[in-house]
This record gives sequence, C-alpha cells and structure tokens, in this order.
Amino acid sequence: MSKKVAVLGLDSVPPEMLFHKLIDKLPNFGKIYREGIHGSLRTCDPPITVPAWMVMMTGKNPGELGIYGFKHRRGYSYSDGYIVTSTNVHEKTVWEVLSDRGRKSIVIGVPPGFPVKHVTNASTISCFLTPSSDRPFTNPGELKDEVVKAAGGKYIFDVTFRTENRADVKKELFEMTEKRFDVAEHFAKKPWDYFMMHEIGFDRLHHAFWKFFDPKHPKYQKGNEYEGIDLEYYSMVDRRIGRLIPMFGEECTTFIVSDHGSKAMKGGFCVNQWLEQEGYLAFKKRPDKPIELDKVEIDWSRTKAWGWGGYYARIFFNVKGREPQGIVDPSELENEKRRLAEKISKIKDHTGRTMKNWTTEPLKLYGTAIGDKPDLMVYFDDLDWRSAGTVGHDSLYLFENDTGPDDSVHSMDGIFMMHKPGRDLKGREVSGARVEEMAPTLLKLLGIDPKGVGLNGKMIEAALEGAAP
Amino acid sequence: MTKYTSVSIPLTLHKRLEKIIAKKTGFKSVSDYVTYVLREVVAMHELKDTPEPFTSTDLDEIKARLQALGYL
Repeated sequence: MSKKVAVLGLDSVPPEMLFHKLIDKLPNFGKIYREGIHGSLRTCDPPITVPAWMVMMTGKNPGELGIYGFKHRRGYSYSDGYIVTSTNVHEKTVWEVLSDRGRKSIVIGVPPGFPVKHVTNASTISCFLTPSSDRPFTNPGELKDEVVKAAGGKYIFDVTFRTENRADVKKELFEMTEKRFDVAEHFAKKPWDYFMMHEIGFDRLHHAFWKFFDPKHPKYQKGNEYEGIDLEYYSMVDRRIGRLIPMFGEECTTFIVSDHGSKAMKGGFCVNQWLEQEGYLAFKKRPDKPIELDKVEIDWSRTKAWGWGGYYARIFFNVKGREPQGIVDPSELENEKRRLAEKISKIKDHTGRTMKNWTTEPLKLYGTAIGDKPDLMVYFDDLDWRSAGTVGHDSLYLFENDTGPDDSVHSMDGIFMMHKPGRDLKGREVSGARVEEMAPTLLKLLGIDPKGVGLNGKMIEAALEGAAP
Repeated sequence: MTKYTSVSIPLTLHKRLEKIIAKKTGFKSVSDYVTYVLREVVAMHELKDTPEPFTSTDLDEIKARLQALGYL
C-alpha cells in the first residue's frame, strides 16, 4: 500500500524513443529508469488514445466500455456518427472509485474528459477534446479561474495542427506542455491521495515531426531543421518532471505511462477503393478525384461492405434488416466476414509483398462488445499502414495521410515506469504489463481491493512488490 | 472558504450511517459522508439539464482536427 499515488500519462510515447534512443540524455527520466522499474505497457485493441486511457483507468476492455475509437457510427446509420466524449464512459475510473470512498484526487486532462464530469472528491480539468476555454472545463466549476491563472492567463488544450507551418506548431506545442506542467505544479501542492496528469503533446510531436527526427522514416532528410526536436521536447518534459515529482513527497509512488506507442508511417491503404475492386462497394458515379466516402453517392443496392479510415480500419457490412438498405442476408454474415478476412490477409503492398494484416471481430476479441461496434477491425501491415477511407485516388497506396501529411502511426507498446522515493529497485525491466492492469494495480496500492469494484483481472505484480512497505 | 450549516436527521439513521462509514475508508465523519451522498444526488439532478457537449461548429472543428491527425 502507498499513501499517495501519482500517474504521469505521456500520450503515445513508445519504448523505442524513451528507453532506447533518449534515456541517456534525460537525467530525470534516467534516474527513474535506473532506480525504479520499467518496461513496455501493452495497449488495447485498437491502439488509440480513446479508448486506451479509459481502459487503463477503468480496467475494462474496449468491448466492455463500448468505445472503439474517437468517432462512432450512430447505430446502423450510413452517415450519422458522433465523437466519443466523457458521457460515453459508463464504467468508474480510479478517481471515481476513490471518490466513493472519500479519497481525494487531482486529474488533469485525461481523455475523454469533456464535458467535465461531476466527481465529488476529485478536482478535474477536461482534455484536449475541449472546444474552447469559454466552456466549463473544470470540476468543480470554480477551479477554472485558478487553472487559467496558474497557466499564466491562457490554458492550452491542444495544438492547432498546421502542416504547412511547422514552426508555429512547434512553438505552440512547447508552450502548451509548459503550461500543463505549470498547472500540475499548482495542483500538486493541494491535498490529494491520487494525482494524474495527461500530456497530449507527445502524440502531437510524433504525428507532426516523426519524419524529421527518425532516420528510418521513408521521408527523413538528414540535416533538416527539426532533426533534434524529439530530444528538445523530451528534454523539456524531463526538466519539468524533475521539478514536479519531488513535489509529490516521499510517501508517493509515481508511475509514468503511455497509452500506446508510435512508429514511422509507411503509407495509407485505400480500404474503400480496394473494397470496390473486390466487388464489395459500388458507387452510383465513381469519383474521379480524392473525396471522403460520405460525400460520394454509394449504390447501397450493390454494396456489401464499406470501411472507415484511421490508424486501423473499421469494416461495416450492409446487412438486410439492420442497415436501411441492407443486402447481405443475416444468415450469410458470418461467412461474408470470414471470406472478407481471408481476402484482407492476402493484400499486397506497393512492392508486391504480402502485408502482415490482422483482422478480428469485436465480440471474439473482447468477449463482450457493447455499443456502436464495427463488424470487422483490421490492422494493415502490423499498423505500419493506416487505413485511408477516402476514395478517388489513382492508386490503392498513398504515401501521405489522405487527410493531410502525417508522419507517424500507432504501435502496440507504450511505456511503463514506476518509482518510489528512497527505494532502489535497480532499474529492473518488467515484461508483460498491460494497460488494463493499471487500474486494479493503482487501487490495490491505494488500499482498495480491486475485486470489490468488479476488477478481477491481473495486476502489475512488480509494481505492487516495488511499492510494498 | 466553504461555509457550513446544519440539517437534522433521525438519530437511528445517524447510527446506521456510522456503521457504514466504519466499513469505508476515507470518510472521517457522518457529516462528511452525508455531504458526499448529497453532492452525488444533486449532481445527478443537474446532469439531466446538461446540454449536448458539442455545438455543430465544435463538431466540425474537432472532426477536422482529428482528421488532420489521422484518427478518422
């Protein structure tokens, strides 16, 4: 048991960046690496920010949460969808479980955190999905002025992603993260049992700049002006955690975690063009220039399936009696899914090599799959290729994000570090930790039996041992 | 600084609440626990009046941002 527990959530940090490339140049991360424990933290399927942080903080899988990405299809509509918000999370987070027991939390920016929820014993600030600081973004509401003041007059939720002007992106990125730490330092001084902050800046650094700092990226150019931006950004955060963590006190066990990893993007695979080629998708008029699928007239009377873009593909079948103009007989759906998965496994890349594609179904994957789930989930080539949902391209293979240039995709391994002051855990490397094991581990450390709140799964035993009195 | 007032509850209920908080960690007194329970109830009522989280302009902006980042 630990009197206090803190979690620093660094969105999308992969072990390859922090542990293998930069750790020797980061004194504060390095100290935790050498004196605490560390390892990879396997993310959920899909490896996406929303749902991954909620899997981590509720201990429930995406199927149990009914959250499969940032955007969901509404029911079986062809075109109606919604952005997932905090209101779609119906399981209790660590800080809600603590609140029920009169324990106090500080929670900064954990997604999806907008609209901000009422949690009696938690001071919370909403996440990067907050439309603007004009909206209520703190719980309780009166904390808003305090946050803005601690941030020097302007709190930044997210950077504006301008691919044409990376100098501005860089400036805003650094400013945003510094402000987040200013606010974190302000709140760290208050009384709490559980402290958590989430920083989206790493994810934005990776998406906007990966090709500039990774020599393995297909578009890397030696000597470019952003070649050292990864070290520059990680060093800034290193300096800030070197100030923040000592504020937690001697009795606090601190975790540093990420929700998934990142890696260089090879390209985008045009899933809907491929489905058209294979006879699954039909247009009333084939588009002759790149366009989003929902802006094209689809001939639903001849369409069996269509897909969504993103870091993974979601495939939906057009099922009779389920979709408005469904044509796939429900009794044939299982066979159709199996046949399509077989075809997907044989897709080749632009060089003629068979991609390492992986296809699954939510129910088979999670055991339970509530909410607005896809029929199939597909990772193209071990996630090296993103799914491009747009149509009207000259080729199935795109070498830029179809919705704007992009540099990185997501990978399955994030990071996990744990440190307790005065305890030399000798930099032990822990293997096999998973995001869903974090919530029960944190609760156990805070003296709450996870089974008592319905969390019967594994915990990260090395963390419990490392923090034991 | 939070100001306080008193409300009356039956003594028998007070005793039952004492037993409940003895089993829970964190609550220091019956007043603490009753305040917590009432805040939850009030929040539940207030939640019913919560408007849709995003306006249509918000949605366009968020979708554009998520698209630019490769999430959609």
